[in-house]
Amino acid sequence: MENTNHEEKVVSLPRIGDTAPDFEAETTHGTLQLEDFKGSWVVLFSHPADFTPVCTTEFIAFQEIADDLRALNTELLGLSVDSVHSHIAWVRNVKEKMGVELTFPIIADLNKDVAKKYGMIMPGESTTETSRAVFVIDDKQIVRAVIYYPLSTGRNMPEILRLIKGLQTTDEHGVATPANWKPGEKVIIPPPKTQEEAEERANDDSVECTDWYFCKKQL
Amino acid sequence: MACVNGDGKLTQSAKNILEAVDESPKSPADLSKELAIPLFKIRSSMRDMVSMGLVQETEGAYQLAPGGRKMLEKSN
Repeated sequence: MENTNHEEKVVSLPRIGDTAPDFEAETTHGTLQLEDFKGSWVVLFSHPADFTPVCTTEFIAFQEIADDLRALNTELLGLSVDSVHSHIAWVRNVKEKMGVELTFPIIADLNKDVAKKYGMIMPGESTTETSRAVFVIDDKQIVRAVIYYPLSTGRNMPEILRLIKGLQTTDEHGVATPANWKPGEKVIIPPPKTQEEAEERANDDSVECTDWYFCKKQL
Repeated sequence: MACVNGDGKLTQSAKNILEAVDESPKSPADLSKELAIPLFKIRSSMRDMVSMGLVQETEGAYQLAPGGRKMLEKSN
């Protein structure tokens, strides 16, 4: 039966652990597909609009962590519902007025294709602009973390860096990271799953245990 | 066409890529290392260049196509 409901289809945002939805999009660096990033981690982030002050501070801040991200095999990919010409003009303006060259690609998502796939529009806040979303996508194109900030509040770059370092540490060492963890600090060992493991853990001198379920170690 | 300027000549980065694949077939990873260009950009450029007939792909490696050679000569 034909669907006569003309309301826009509501698409759920990709959740942690999902395969990141693929796309092909026009960007300031040519046509890019998500697949082009396979093998690298990606920080896919949206901003409300070009030539707006909070977004300008964020883009400069993202650029400032670009080298640190590259060292973590991570690429930046921006997005807003603006044209590629608007993006180019804004990138040139930021270079001219603020002295910062934005080197990462920015998706021109005029038809909101990518924004809809990733649930970047919060209709209660704005139906014409994307919120400040961040999708951390790993080298196998799996969504590993999702962050949302409202239009009014700029994001915190050290937290994005910390998050990626934490995720990569988890992957590499099979550990978790505690609140406010920073690289170099002790990490958390997953709790034992059996009573036998719990007894062994409690007597393991190589780890620092407060109790059988709460053990840390230095990597 | 991302790799061609308004005057019909190759952009500098396109020229660098075509010159790099003129010597021998190369994988995107090799090109990324040799030219210090992020891998995602190389993959995107290769897609454009294949569709424009500038390079040809065989088993994941790219080599200059006759159309690419013509463009290189025109741009030099």
